[in-house]
Amino acid sequence: MRTFADFNPIAVTVWFLAVTGLAMFSSDPVIYVIALTGAVLLYVVRNGRKHHGIHLFAPVIFLITALINPLVSHNGGTVLFVMNNNPVTLEALIYGVCTAVMITAILYLFKSYSQIMTSDRLLYVFGMFSPKLALIFSMSLRYVPLFGRQAKKITASQTAMGLYKDDNIADSFRGGMRIFSVLITWALENGIITADSMTARGYGIGRRSHFSLFIFRTADVLLICLSVIFSVLTVYLTWDIEFVFYPYFKIPDAGIKNAVGYAVYGLMAVMPVFIEIREVVKWRYLRSKI
Amino acid sequence: MEILKVENLSFTYPLMTSPALSDVSFSAEKGEFIAVCGATGSGKSTLLRMLKNELAPVGERSGEIYIDGVAVNELGAKKSAAFTGYVMQNPEHQIVTDTVWHELAFGLENMNIPPEKIAGRIAEISAYFGIEQLYLKSTHELSGGQKQLLNLAAVMVMNPDILVLDEPTAQLDPIAASEFISTVKKLNRELGLTVIISEHRLEEVIPVCDRVLMLEKGSVYAYGKPQSTVSDLKNKPSLLRSMPAAVRLFHAVNGQGECPLDVCHGRAFIQSAFSNKIRTLPLEKKTAVREKALEFKNVMFRYERDVPDVLNGLTFTAYKNEICCILGGNGSGKSTALSAAAALIKPYSGEIRIFGKKLKEYKNQSLYRECLALLPQDVQTVFLRNTVREELADVGAGELPFEINHLLDKHPYDLSGGEQQLAALAKVLASKPKLLLLDEPTKGIDAETKHTVAEILKRLKQSGVTIIIVTHDTEFACECADRCAMFFRGNIVSSDTPRNFFAANNFYTTAASRMTRGFYDNVTTVDEAAELIETNGTREDA
Repeated sequence: MRTFADFNPIAVTVWFLAVTGLAMFSSDPVIYVIALTGAVLLYVVRNGRKHHGIHLFAPVIFLITALINPLVSHNGGTVLFVMNNNPVTLEALIYGVCTAVMITAILYLFKSYSQIMTSDRLLYVFGMFSPKLALIFSMSLRYVPLFGRQAKKITASQTAMGLYKDDNIADSFRGGMRIFSVLITWALENGIITADSMTARGYGIGRRSHFSLFIFRTADVLLICLSVIFSVLTVYLTWDIEFVFYPYFKIPDAGIKNAVGYAVYGLMAVMPVFIEIREVVKWRYLRSKI
Repeated sequence: MEILKVENLSFTYPLMTSPALSDVSFSAEKGEFIAVCGATGSGKSTLLRMLKNELAPVGERSGEIYIDGVAVNELGAKKSAAFTGYVMQNPEHQIVTDTVWHELAFGLENMNIPPEKIAGRIAEISAYFGIEQLYLKSTHELSGGQKQLLNLAAVMVMNPDILVLDEPTAQLDPIAASEFISTVKKLNRELGLTVIISEHRLEEVIPVCDRVLMLEKGSVYAYGKPQSTVSDLKNKPSLLRSMPAAVRLFHAVNGQGECPLDVCHGRAFIQSAFSNKIRTLPLEKKTAVREKALEFKNVMFRYERDVPDVLNGLTFTAYKNEICCILGGNGSGKSTALSAAAALIKPYSGEIRIFGKKLKEYKNQSLYRECLALLPQDVQTVFLRNTVREELADVGAGELPFEINHLLDKHPYDLSGGEQQLAALAKVLASKPKLLLLDEPTKGIDAETKHTVAEILKRLKQSGVTIIIVTHDTEFACECADRCAMFFRGNIVSSDTPRNFFAANNFYTTAASRMTRGFYDNVTTVDEAAELIETNGTREDA
């Protein structure tokens, strides 16, 4: 099984940057709709019925962003009604809805991205730019939870000594401050051990190499190449299309060239969905032979 | 071939008048296993750290250390880092990164070894150490023993010729500790690795080492084969106390001939030289029915809704004015039981009574005032201030039941493991508890301090305090407990006086008990064994 998440994190990142980047920087509602479709499909294919909280949260965000624009912006020629002496226009509403589609699409995309990019994958991507940064990141990933656990332990010890009451806000605040300050001392003291352990293993003697669990396969390279080529094509083929919102909303005339551009972007947006589905089908088939 | 040579090494820390090391000379052959022993403050750590240039402390130094024929500070950064591997005491803080695989790769990355080669090296090392299942795990998910094994593997992956270990098992439970020592021995035997190890707990190390280096106040007291060095400890009670039970028994009965080092030889020594007409010491009388101090009734607890129970119907009573030791494996729920008794966690079912009163009837922290105190396993969590004096003033500690005046002006974190334990105990005792709960009070402390702690606890008992100790340390339990209980899978499965308790156990018992089993009955400590041997006298046919 090699699902989309199992692709090299760099390839995955390139794809995400391409799809979200185009959606964010274009002002084309068609692109927005394609992005949203791809994003929702990817999320559903990956999660099924699990983690469905976003499906409740996203419509709320959608409504809020869609309605804020017509309430704030009063441009546009078609007045729908007047509220508090301010005209609410059809054009502003359309613009709001378009923006909302875009924002919701990006919300879904980022959700998927953060699900896929576990800490070791992020670390790998960081490491490509700077091995030092990657190490700092990895160390903080160890330190932050360590801090939390130690804080809990200190609180428990101190409570058992009856040092502060929990029914008194001033007292518990003072207690919290003391725990925080002792936590810093603790981290500094024990940080010396970590530093010793690092120098003992040759940290800082020269250039570091960077090891990771991820390798590049043909499919990863293919994914990166396709993402780049499709992005360039999309930009080239849909560059001349311009949607006008104000004063009157006007749908531009689109030729075959533009249609091909949308198709290319659509293809790119659903690429991961294809990968996921293909994997499931392949796995079912392979498993039937076990 | 001489791989390590120390010549007339002296060292003084800045602002100190007396040297930490004075005129230390010894040498090690390639492939030797050397145990370094000595009381806290005898200069063990200072010596070991000086063997590795990167860790050498700052101060005034004379003499020279040669590693592989080259002075230690002329080795060059790369060789120095890779040639000598160094494992420290604290399993947690030696770990640098967040995942096991990254930790294994860390040293090799520093050496700028290409990633393809790193992959092969860490695959090999994880297979050798049997940690393949842990490969993808976060380092914080590991147990203490696994963490220390990872630290060892992360050093071994750099392929060192000398391995230096500074009290590596001090923070581990006995089972993890002996596993760790046998892994080190395996490395020594199979790879010809030179090992230099310092330890508090010498029970496991002395029998397997090739030479022993004994330090006393910074000077070499003895250096040689274990047999000869341990035979010569008559006048050194502080060094003798940390020796294996067989060695202590040999000295206690003024043994003649070759000194036994382990349980097996200790048995042979007793059975060949002494008679066993009287098989047991007079048993102490059982005390009458007493008042209950702490009572668990069907207590159930789990940390999260969907995980198994940690306390599984725990039913147990501790009586007033006794020292009760709770023993048991890792993760059996011992510490959790203490937290429940101290009301730090809330069982979902069952009842806990302290001095006959239900826990929830202790309102408004009254539980922690002159009633109950808990000394946690990690004693560093007790300290909040910059000096021990401030710590004690904070809680309004009056007269202390023991003497720690020499520690008062130090920072709590600067104290040794044993001193931290004593300072924390002093702080906890400030609330004048009638019920004292101790979680692993002997972890990471030397034999001498362990004895001090046992004496303090006995004195506290006499002044009317009930003490419950969770421990792995069977020797310590024998020394101070009135009653021992075995914790297993969330419940107490057996409890009795130490002598009956350890006599009934075959595996989970003290070395003295294992040495005399079948020859004498109900022996738990070296002192008891010695007493019995003395009353019996030597064999007539011997």
